[in-house]
Amino acid sequence: MKLSYLMKTTAIALALTATAAQAEVKFGSLYPFSGQLALLGEESARGLELAVEEINAAGGIQGEQITLVRGDAVDNNQAIGEARRLTSLEGVKAIFGTYSSARSIAASQVTELAGIPYFELGAVAEEVTGRGMKYLFRTNPTADDMAKMIIQMVVEKVGPGLGKEPADLKIAIIHEDSSYGTSVAERQNAYAKEAGLSIVTTQAYPAAIVDMSSLVLDLKNREVDIVLQTSYQNDSVLFLQQANEAGYKPSAIIGGGGGYSMQPTADAVGHDVIEGVLDVDFTQYTVNTSYTPGLEQFVEAYQKKYGSAPRSGHSLNNYVGAKVILEALGKASDLEPDTIVDTVKAIDIEAGVTAAGYGFKFGDDNQNERAEMMGMQWQDGKLVTVFPDSAAMTPIKLGE
Amino acid sequence: MNTFLQVLTNGIMLGSLFAIVAVGLTLIFGIVKVVNFAHGEFLMVGMYLTYVLTTWMGIHPFATVILVAPALFLLGAVTQRFLIQPLMSADDDHIQIFATVGLSTALINLALLVFGADIASTPASGLRTPLQLGPVRLLSGQVAILVASIAVVVVLQFFLSRTQTGRAIRAVAQNRAAAQLMGINVNWIYILTFGIGAACVGVASVLIAPLYPTSSGIGTYFVLTAFVVVVLGGLGSIGGAFAGAMIIGLIDSFAGFYIGSDLREVAVFGVFLLILILKPSGLFSSRLNLSHVSP
Repeated sequence: MKLSYLMKTTAIALALTATAAQAEVKFGSLYPFSGQLALLGEESARGLELAVEEINAAGGIQGEQITLVRGDAVDNNQAIGEARRLTSLEGVKAIFGTYSSARSIAASQVTELAGIPYFELGAVAEEVTGRGMKYLFRTNPTADDMAKMIIQMVVEKVGPGLGKEPADLKIAIIHEDSSYGTSVAERQNAYAKEAGLSIVTTQAYPAAIVDMSSLVLDLKNREVDIVLQTSYQNDSVLFLQQANEAGYKPSAIIGGGGGYSMQPTADAVGHDVIEGVLDVDFTQYTVNTSYTPGLEQFVEAYQKKYGSAPRSGHSLNNYVGAKVILEALGKASDLEPDTIVDTVKAIDIEAGVTAAGYGFKFGDDNQNERAEMMGMQWQDGKLVTVFPDSAAMTPIKLGE
Repeated sequence: MNTFLQVLTNGIMLGSLFAIVAVGLTLIFGIVKVVNFAHGEFLMVGMYLTYVLTTWMGIHPFATVILVAPALFLLGAVTQRFLIQPLMSADDDHIQIFATVGLSTALINLALLVFGADIASTPASGLRTPLQLGPVRLLSGQVAILVASIAVVVVLQFFLSRTQTGRAIRAVAQNRAAAQLMGINVNWIYILTFGIGAACVGVASVLIAPLYPTSSGIGTYFVLTAFVVVVLGGLGSIGGAFAGAMIIGLIDSFAGFYIGSDLREVAVFGVFLLILILKPSGLFSSRLNLSHVSP
C-alpha cells in the first residue's frame, strides 16, 4: 500500500520534472545516417522520431516513455553490426528501419536470430518479407505494389483518357538493370499481361548510363504511346531530357518512384519538359487530405522540429508505419517479443484513416497487405496526387 | 537511312564526350604511370566548381574555364607532389593506386558533406538547344564538346611534339632514368604532367556540367569508360585516346539501337577484349610503351 503510493508520487514527480528518468523503453532506429544514402535515410528516420515524440507526449506506451537508440547502417556489414549492438548491448525491445532494402535484409537476420521484432517502414524489395521470418514486419508498400498501381493507372485512367482501348496502346518498359528495376519491370509485365495490355519492348540499362539517345530513338521508331520507366534520379533526368531533345513525345510517361518524385529532378529537367509526366510512389504531400487525415498535423510538427518542409514522402510513410505499430503496442500487456508479434498481427485498420491513406492488416508473410502507392502527376512544376480518385487532388491531365 | 545517320551522330557525340574525359587520363596513365582512380572525382570537383561559379556569378558555364582549369591543374599538381611523389620510391608500385582510391573516396564524401546528396543542375545556358542538321538532330552543347575535344587533342599533340617541355615529358615517359641523366628534373615533369592532365579534366567538366546534373557520384559514370578508352588507344597516346573514344562511342550507340540497350555494354567490352587480344598494347601504342621496361 505504502509502496505503491510512493511509486505513484515519484512517477508524478518525475513526469513533472519532465527529464525522463522515469521508466523508459528503448527502441532501435536503424537507418543509413551517413554515406551515399544518408539524405533519404535521415529523412526516413525523422518520420520515426516524430511518431515517437507524439506517442511520448500522449503518455508513452504502457506508461513508459520511449527512447530511440540510433544505429548507423552505412553499409550491409555495418547494418549487421549495429543490429547486434542494439539488440545485445542496448537491449532494445524492437528495431525500426531501414529505408534501404539491402540493409534491411542483412540486419533483420540478426534480429530474427535474437528473437527481437524488426519493423521495416520503408524498404520496397520483395525479398524483405519473402523469407519466412517470424519477427520481421513491413508496413510500407513494395515494388510489387508499385507495378500493380502503374498498370492499374494505365488501364483505368490513361487508356480511357487517351480514348484508346487498353489493348491498342503500345507500351514500353524501360528500367535500370539492378534488382530494383528488374523486379518492378517483371511485375509490370505480369500485371500488364493480366490486364491484356500489349508491351512492345522491355529494355534494361545500367543506372550509371550517360547516353540514352539510342534507346529514345528505338522507342520513337516503334511509335510507343506509353513509356514506363523504373529508375533512379540521374537516369530519370537523362531520359526525360533526351526524349524531349529528340522530339519524342509519347502520350504518357509513367515513372516509378525514385527520381521521378523529387523536386530537384523537375528543376534539372525543366518544369515545361516534365509537365504532365506521371509517377507512382509512396504517398506525397499534395494529396486530398480527407483521405489522409493527420497529414497536415504531421507536416506542421515536422516544420516545427526540423525547420523546413519534409524533403520527401519517406518521412511521412515511416511516421505512419511507426505510429500504427507503437499505438498498438501501447495497448498490449507487455513488450515480450511474442506479445509484440501477436499484437501487430491483430492490427486491422481500414484505408482512409491514416496520414498516408493506406490501411494496415498484416498477411501470413508479415507484409502489410493494405499498403498501397499512389499515382502522381507533375502539373505546373508541382507533383500532385491524381490516382486513386479518393486521394486525388485534381484530375489527371492527358494529351495537349 | 535517317535513323542510321542519327545513330551515327549520337555515337560520334558520345565518343567526343568520352574523348574529352579520357585525354587527361591518358597523359597521367601513360607518362606518370599512375593509375589515377580519382580521375572521375577530379571531373566531379570540376563540375561542382562550374556549378558554383555559374550560379553565384551568373556567368556562362564556358566562361568558368578560366578558373576551373587552373584550379584543377593545382589539384592535380598537389596530388602528385604530396600524395604520389612520396610513394614513388615505395617498394610496391601498387601503393600509389591505393592512394588514388583513397583520394577518390575522400573526395566523394567531401562532396556529400558540402553539397549533400541532391543533384546540382548547372544552368544549361542554351547548350541544350537541339539543332536540326538535315536529317539528324544534336545539341549545341554536344557540338561544343566535339570541337573542344579535337582542339584539346591538337594542342596537346603540338605541345608534346614541338616544345622543349613537351619533349622532356616524352623523354621521361620513355625512360625515367635516362631522362634524369640528361638533366631533366623528373619530379617536376611529373607534377607538371599530372597538373596538365587534371586541367584537361577541368576543361571537360566545364563542357559536361551544363549537360549532366552534378552529383557526388557522377565521376563513377565516366571513369570506367575512360580507362577502357585509354587502354584501347594505347597508354599515353593522345590521338589514340581520341580514336579509342570514338570507337567506344560508336559501338555503344549502334549496339544500343540495333542490338538492345541491355547488351550495349556486352558489345563495348566484347570489342575491347577482342582488340586487346589481337593487339595487347592498344591500337595506337607508340614507342612510349617501351617505358614499361624502365625501372
